[in-house]
Amino acid sequence: MVRLYLANDTSSCAAGAGRLADAWCERPEIQLIRTSSRGAFFLEPMVERDTPNGRETWFNVAPDDLPRIVAGVGGTPVAEIPFLQQQTRFTFVNFGITEPLAIDEYQTGGGLKGLAAAQGLSPEAIVEELRISRLRGRGGAAFPVWKKWQVAQQVGAEQKYVVANADEGDAGTYCDRMIMEGDPFRLIEGMLICARAIGATRGYIYCRYEYPAAAQTMRFAIQKAREADLLDCDDSPFDLEVVVGAGSYVCGEETALLESLEGRRGVVLAKPPYPAESGLYGKPTIVSNVLTFATIPNILAEGGAWHASLGTEGSCGTMALQLGGRVKQPGLVEVPFGLTLRDVLDRFGGGMAPGSRFKAVQVGGPLGSLFPESQLDIPICYDAFAKAGAILGHGGIVVYDDETNMVELARHFMAFTADESCGKCTPCRIGSVRGREILERIQRGQGTAEDLALLSDLGETMKATSLCALGGRAPYPVLTAIEHFPNEFRRCQKV
Amino acid sequence: MRTQYGTRLAEALESCRPVPPDKPNILKTLLAVQSALGYVPTSDLPQIAQVLEVTDAQLAGVLSYYSDLRTQPPSRHLIRVCRGESCTANHGLRVLLAVQDHVRVAAGDRTQAERFTVEQMSCAGNCAVSPTVIVDDEVHGRVVPSQMAALLERYK
Repeated sequence: MVRLYLANDTSSCAAGAGRLADAWCERPEIQLIRTSSRGAFFLEPMVERDTPNGRETWFNVAPDDLPRIVAGVGGTPVAEIPFLQQQTRFTFVNFGITEPLAIDEYQTGGGLKGLAAAQGLSPEAIVEELRISRLRGRGGAAFPVWKKWQVAQQVGAEQKYVVANADEGDAGTYCDRMIMEGDPFRLIEGMLICARAIGATRGYIYCRYEYPAAAQTMRFAIQKAREADLLDCDDSPFDLEVVVGAGSYVCGEETALLESLEGRRGVVLAKPPYPAESGLYGKPTIVSNVLTFATIPNILAEGGAWHASLGTEGSCGTMALQLGGRVKQPGLVEVPFGLTLRDVLDRFGGGMAPGSRFKAVQVGGPLGSLFPESQLDIPICYDAFAKAGAILGHGGIVVYDDETNMVELARHFMAFTADESCGKCTPCRIGSVRGREILERIQRGQGTAEDLALLSDLGETMKATSLCALGGRAPYPVLTAIEHFPNEFRRCQKV
Repeated sequence: MRTQYGTRLAEALESCRPVPPDKPNILKTLLAVQSALGYVPTSDLPQIAQVLEVTDAQLAGVLSYYSDLRTQPPSRHLIRVCRGESCTANHGLRVLLAVQDHVRVAAGDRTQAERFTVEQMSCAGNCAVSPTVIVDDEVHGRVVPSQMAALLERYK
């Protein structure tokens, strides 16, 4: 019997992995192991098998390909796939290899070493290790993780909470979903380390409604971790639960997320107080992104200095970039910070999808700036992006081709903000609607030169006065579209 | 039928009844009701409010805030067309038009007796195999407008 490996995550199944499993489930000559995906989604569904020299793989497999896979004909060594070969996998090291819910496999791959190391350290020493690591939050705000943890650690309270922000709402991002579906124990391990550092005994994973498979995998993983006696913090049980949201983008903002977790409308609250001092039910709460928590086990296992040695001065470690849109090779790319955007698009993206020509790339989700071809040499790190008035966000990279209408795209962005605004602050609630109306007017050919000036003015107001990043960042994709493609907007003006 | 409905609602509410010192969780309760009944009937709001000991206004506020909470019974099949950035870049609008053309209802509209409800959704997180269409719980990637009719015909 031949053992074959096939990914079981949402995107691989959407690409046809589920169809293969259905077609082959009765075949006696094979044993099918369902793993996480390597993240080379352009090759999915991928089927792998063991050889004396490591795994071999077959790409874009159809059900009829089974005989040649069983015969071992036409496979490619996984180690020779350039897309994977050129990556530096630390957080995503298990992807494509292990079964997501097998704790023993997680452990064989180095899992739980970070937790063991943390258990040998004082809470202060854990925070110190994170300070040395220079890890910054991966959800978008890039705040130094150790500072938050130190605050929560030092506030005295009978109850503290650890909350994983799994509301991955930024369009073009999917690495949190991959972690939850593919390596769930890594998230749990990161949360347990945090719980120990701050003295929390309860944790929540706030997972978006759109990720039912991720929520289910996390629930199974929590159950398995509990059975394996992993879920405790300083000998008291650590209570971990998955909570599902209900389709609100702004719930990815930490104060809105906590409101939603308490069951209310997910509106943004003014800060301070910060959640680390007064968060869930008024108690000290660490809210961090899934990818941030998943990065922490390796830092404790290998040491903060190891992490600080990767990447650039202000952006240490690796970043999970998620390629999407019109690139030839969409997928997950984990690399140290510092590569240029052009490098990433050429070396990993493999250029444009057949028959399409590059027009612009958007980095950092629906609130991220657009970059034209002339600006692709920007290094991927927080400082360079901040200097350019752009954001790295959660690492989403979406490429648009020359068939894209920039006026329509700008309207799409502003309409998104108008739809998703929580309504708490006026610049976002009213500004996004007015912005959408102006863009609709331009699109109808009834705009004037004043409309573009008005849009720019409105954008500056929203940037300066909105309560959170939704209103504050919403103008960037629109204004960069106008800046780089002014003719498309002028062409639409009333004569 | 009505009794079964009443039982399902009662069970959902019972599972969410707050145990002091815990406070009532409105969102969790409404999601439990939706999971039991397929939607949150507005006629049941007074009963839900009573169990949670909150006001009707507090309930209505949460119900209207979250786009995934429904107040109408769903059609047999729910089609969600992703309008996230990667799907947009991959010309997902053409997919939406093809779906609408096939189903002949405008996105967002719904009629109880119909077979399909068509909705647009923000990013499904399936960007690397976009464009994406989700029918009920099945996620379809790399969909092509010309294949939408055949794909939807599988859902009777």
